Amino acid sequence: MKTCKIVSRKFHLENSHTLEVAKVHGAYNTLEKMEVYSSLEIIEIIKESNLRGKGGGGSPAGDKWVLMPQNSDNPSFLVVNCDESEPGTFKDRQIISKDPHLLIEGILITCFAIKAKHAYIYIRGEYKQFQDILQSAIDEAYKDGLLDNCDITIHRGAGAYICGEKSALLESMEGKRGHPRLKPKQKEPEWFFDHPALVNNVETIASVPFIIQNGANAYKAFGTKQSPGTLLFAMSGHVNKPGVYEAEYGTPMMEYIEYFGGGIKNAKKLKAVIPGGASSAILTAEEASTVTLDYETMRSMGSSLGTGGMIVMDEDTCMVSALKNLLEFYHEESCGQCTPCREGTGWTDKLVGKIVNKEGTKEDIDKLLDIADTMNGKTICVFAPAVATVITSFLSKFRDEFEAAL
Amino acid sequence: MSFIFNDENLLKIEALKKRYPSPKALCLPCLWMAQHQEGFISIDAIDVISEKIGIPPMEIYRVVTFYTMFHLEPQDKINVQVCKTLSCKLCGSDEILKHLEDKDVNIQHVECLGSCGTAPVMQIDDIYYEDLTPAKVDTILKELR
Amino acid sequence: MSKMIDIIVDSKTYTAKEGSLLIDLLIKEKIKVPYFCYHESLGADGNCRMCMVEIEGQKRPQIACDTLIKEHMEVRSTGKNIEKIRTDILELELINHPVDCPVCDQAGECSLQEFYMDYGLHNAKVIIQDKVKHTKHVDLGSNVILDQERCVLCARCTRFTDKITGTHELGIIGRGDHARVTTMPGRKLDNPYAMNVVDLCPVGALTSKDFRFSQRVWFLQTVNSICHGCAKGCNIFIDHNKMKYQDDVIYRFRPRRNDDVNGFFMCDEGRLSYKQLQENRQETTLLNGKEITEDEAIQEAKELIQRYKDTISVVIDANLYSEEMEAILTFAKEINASVYSPLDVYVDESFKDDMLKSANRAANYKTIGILNIDTNKPKSNGLIINFNHPQEFKADSHINFFTHKCDRDDLVFPIAVFSENSGTLKNEDGIVQKCEKAVSRNIPIPTIIESLIKISL
Repeated sequence: MKTCKIVSRKFHLENSHTLEVAKVHGAYNTLEKMEVYSSLEIIEIIKESNLRGKGGGGSPAGDKWVLMPQNSDNPSFLVVNCDESEPGTFKDRQIISKDPHLLIEGILITCFAIKAKHAYIYIRGEYKQFQDILQSAIDEAYKDGLLDNCDITIHRGAGAYICGEKSALLESMEGKRGHPRLKPKQKEPEWFFDHPALVNNVETIASVPFIIQNGANAYKAFGTKQSPGTLLFAMSGHVNKPGVYEAEYGTPMMEYIEYFGGGIKNAKKLKAVIPGGASSAILTAEEASTVTLDYETMRSMGSSLGTGGMIVMDEDTCMVSALKNLLEFYHEESCGQCTPCREGTGWTDKLVGKIVNKEGTKEDIDKLLDIADTMNGKTICVFAPAVATVITSFLSKFRDEFEAAL
Repeated sequence: MSFIFNDENLLKIEALKKRYPSPKALCLPCLWMAQHQEGFISIDAIDVISEKIGIPPMEIYRVVTFYTMFHLEPQDKINVQVCKTLSCKLCGSDEILKHLEDKDVNIQHVECLGSCGTAPVMQIDDIYYEDLTPAKVDTILKELR
Repeated sequence: MSKMIDIIVDSKTYTAKEGSLLIDLLIKEKIKVPYFCYHESLGADGNCRMCMVEIEGQKRPQIACDTLIKEHMEVRSTGKNIEKIRTDILELELINHPVDCPVCDQAGECSLQEFYMDYGLHNAKVIIQDKVKHTKHVDLGSNVILDQERCVLCARCTRFTDKITGTHELGIIGRGDHARVTTMPGRKLDNPYAMNVVDLCPVGALTSKDFRFSQRVWFLQTVNSICHGCAKGCNIFIDHNKMKYQDDVIYRFRPRRNDDVNGFFMCDEGRLSYKQLQENRQETTLLNGKEITEDEAIQEAKELIQRYKDTISVVIDANLYSEEMEAILTFAKEINASVYSPLDVYVDESFKDDMLKSANRAANYKTIGILNIDTNKPKSNGLIINFNHPQEFKADSHINFFTHKCDRDDLVFPIAVFSENSGTLKNEDGIVQKCEKAVSRNIPIPTIIESLIKISL
């Protein structure tokens, strides 16, 4: 396995979160580039690198950056999404607790590129411990004069999965409930109180310094042609060494699980993997053995790479209980704004609950698929379609297990 | 109104106002301060925040009920938030939940805490307790009392 | 700026403003589209997802309330696909609904019922015990009762108190299927337009404490009229019913849309003013407090008019129909009387607001000016003939034409109220509006014009 440490380079160092240690290991060296490059040139390099958004969507970051106005009297903002709440995902917390200065460096370059003078980091409320580490890093950066021309403010969430959706996140920052907004009619930036805003995931921004320092080609030397670079993939569930390990896109999934995760716990057989956070379609062991960890391969398998947080399940896992568990999550977390999601998450949870309690019927399975269809593509945001994907993938790949439970 | 922000928080609020394009953005920060100050968010506190940031009380009340970490009532026991989502479940959160049942604590089932690699996990106040076993839970609760 | 363009809906071409909302066109052209959350006064919210249509070139169905009309747009509002989507979303809307139509006051004017007949007809798949439980019979204040279980969370009521009145009493709290409409703990819905949320609510979640359980709506007859509460002239529907062996009764006023006058709404005071039309009415002719026959009263009136010749003043209420005012002027001329309508008494600055309520609490005071009627107090102190003006003026003798009982020791003729008669009014902005006759009493009370004919010399 090729080691590649773009974002996790300093993770292993003692006191890596301090400015002193970070600086010894090259932090903030990229800032010189802001004297060399214009803002548009930086955006060009990011576009050239084909840096993909690492929060789950995987769309090219540069596509969003170019939407930000370069010459406007209306101040722009960068909003860094650290609402990491997708089950199976715990990578951004590694960055903010182990190398917060890398994120700050990335923020400074990004703000320079999009002409923003203030960046907010929206962090999930539960991450208070890690927020405190990040805050002390920001305080150090202020003291050191690094933030003379660009402010950074941490904005703490308070417990709502949906706030990871960028428009819900902005609503939340505006002091409202985290309800996703209706999609704009044309390509435009996001809006924070009538100000253009760029919303990017922590890891996306933390990848920026490497690209600007070493050039787009150095980044593209990792990964595949369409999914260049690396991702902080994560593993949890039935593996021997769960955790976050950076790897390049295109790494075979099983090789990753074996190499970093030390294989399946208790020498059991693999049954299934949810590849990219709970909201990606589940893969059977057989499928897992063929896939590589990149956006295109995952899509071709009818799933998605998502956040790269793999949930690994061994042969003894009950798929009906696993689905029930995930549906409880969605039922609890649906914002309740639009009908198919609000009612669909509750109803599917109850139906699978019936099956878990051995009270299910064949009609319930058909109804589940029917509701999933209604939840897919008819809502304001992608929450309900994700639930639909989860339901249909479990039912199509493990149908016999559901039928056996009737 | 019986709620007033303490001086420290008042200073924080004024400082934060300079960091946002609208005082409305101070909704969550003010709610956090109120909850830290009193242990919960009272209707009086909502009215005070409303005056400070210009969001109607009802809208702030709606916000409080949207986020799982805010409490409208005082918490009389230790609030143990146990993650019950899939990775923790696969790694034994059921056992932890069962073990907590006869303890004198308030058990709150919460969704993914983002600590899947160190499952099972629980959170008390702002602190994560990871790689839990029933024995470890006992030690943690003993230390907290 | 925006131009008119042609778009195709269900293979038919329509002309619409570019960039306007597709749903507005569908509503205007009466193309069937189900929706809960959209309302023309509140704009799009996009939460109910019922108004799905197919748009050529778009992979997924789109909600019409969030679709802007574009050149060459081709829309399909019918077809198997779109009907299945509507059926399925409606089923989700209904799974936690109590389906208590037989005891629900909204039955007969409920969007949920209507769409169920159009798209639903599902078998019940969730038994009542498994439905999400919420609170019923919540008295929100201002005559509004909430049943949270019937609510479809369309947020029309909360958007009304946010955007229209700016009073922010109502809000949706909680999330997921536990979300519900409420007021803040210990606080009430309290604004002068609160009852409009009952009209806005597409289902039986918000009902009027004043109207609920008094009539099933399908028994009601509806006529168009104008509220007489002030000079704004809010357009209303009068809903009334004459039950067997009983008198014709008005059960409610509802605002009727008129974008030039009141938009979609009316104030609660105006809405409840229907009650005054049926309470404490003057129904018989009186002389010094004693009942006399109409013939005796007419005789008495004629004698008084003869006796006080040339010292007669006529006083008229500024709420009367224009036709009535003109008839009174003609009558006054015949008997050589001068005509007055003092308007000060109608001015109530405390009633006024910047929405619909006017300080001039006389529905037709504009016409008083147009007819050049003297707005000073009557000068003559011989005989005063008062056509329902609220003030009493000193004179040797009085003939009164009153809609409501009034303890004055004089000759009193009963007259019909506006809902028992038809006519026109001019509102404070100069807009002429027509009221239809709503109520026909078992024992009719004469209109002013009928009475004038009888007492004319």
